Amino acid sequence: MQRFFSKIVFFRPLVAAVAVRKYNIVMLRKAWMLFINTFTISMTANSGYAIIGVMKNRFVDRYGWFSREEMNNYIAMAQSCPGPMAVSSSMIIGYQSAGFIGAFAAVLGVIIPPFVMMIVVTYFYTFIATNPYVRLFITGMQAGVCALLMDVILGLFEGVIKMKSWFYYLLIILLFLIVRLTDLSVFLLAILCLIIAVVKTLLFTGKMEEKA
Amino acid sequence: MISVIAIFLSFLKIGLFAFGGAYAVLPLIEEEMVINTGWMTFAEFSDLVAIDELTPGPIIINSATFIGMKLGGLPGALAATLGCILPGCVISLLLVVLYRKYREIPVIAEAMRTLRCMAVALIFSVLLKMLVSAIFPSGLNNVSDISLLTLALVVASFYVMRKYKTNPLYVMLACGGITLMLSLISGTA
Repeated sequence: MQRFFSKIVFFRPLVAAVAVRKYNIVMLRKAWMLFINTFTISMTANSGYAIIGVMKNRFVDRYGWFSREEMNNYIAMAQSCPGPMAVSSSMIIGYQSAGFIGAFAAVLGVIIPPFVMMIVVTYFYTFIATNPYVRLFITGMQAGVCALLMDVILGLFEGVIKMKSWFYYLLIILLFLIVRLTDLSVFLLAILCLIIAVVKTLLFTGKMEEKA
Repeated sequence: MISVIAIFLSFLKIGLFAFGGAYAVLPLIEEEMVINTGWMTFAEFSDLVAIDELTPGPIIINSATFIGMKLGGLPGALAATLGCILPGCVISLLLVVLYRKYREIPVIAEAMRTLRCMAVALIFSVLLKMLVSAIFPSGLNNVSDISLLTLALVVASFYVMRKYKTNPLYVMLACGGITLMLSLISGTA
């Protein structure tokens, strides 16, 4: 039957779709989970950093889709992208778990809640801006966000310890000082990191060749 | 009514140059909306900052939707939101495809390591800012005004998250709820 249909060119995409259906169902399930998770994250947290923390908790600690090592790489990449970090991190994590469908689902989940909420907020603007209870609740939530960021940093730092080189500790201190003391944009900072990486690899491979 | 295309292009520009999270982006939005285009007054912009802090959702998307809605209704909001996320989407997709293909190459692997160091430095700097503003509500000049409740909440939620791997969303909501309840009981609200 399948062979018969694939003889007709018009049906070929359909036959192909049937053939990879099993694979697609797994991807679609993952995409749906990505959507649900980014949707609830975006409905609660209001900082890109908090969103990264929640994603680490869900996709690494709970579902086990990635290793901590990989997640740290994704955080590093999301940091180096322009625009909202929530979008770039969900794009990266979505693509790595379920391809284009996953990336699309994850980004859609991130942008729908704030989009709908802000449209509603334009009408209730004064109520929200002057209500003391809303303010108290949000300031309270900041404590949770701080704890979440500590968790993210600890995860990243464990990765740095595993690299077992004093070079990275120095680099962190240097970059931290640059961030705190100067006004250098993250874009230039990322370029600086890339240059350091290139130089370090060139020097390192040079030494290896000398030894050999 | 300002044209939807102009709104889209304006936010495309913001989305392309917005590196480094919300704190770096708000000045950029201010420059584009208040100074370059004059679509907003400065008072409107400070309203926007206040509303951003009080609503969930990523701050850049919130601002884009809010401004777009004010400037051009629903189409404006859609144009602004799409404009500000488009560059990030394209670039992050590009990065992840390249990462998938070339992560074994020594230079790329080394670059990932240095970028991770950058992430540590950046997040640590944001964390410091957040901790100071949460624990010392009236600023560092007045250290005696320390919010012990917030400090306790930070420590407790960190412990709970590390130990039980609880969903951080529940922890955050609980923190908000506890703060609200305690100030209602003590009558400070």
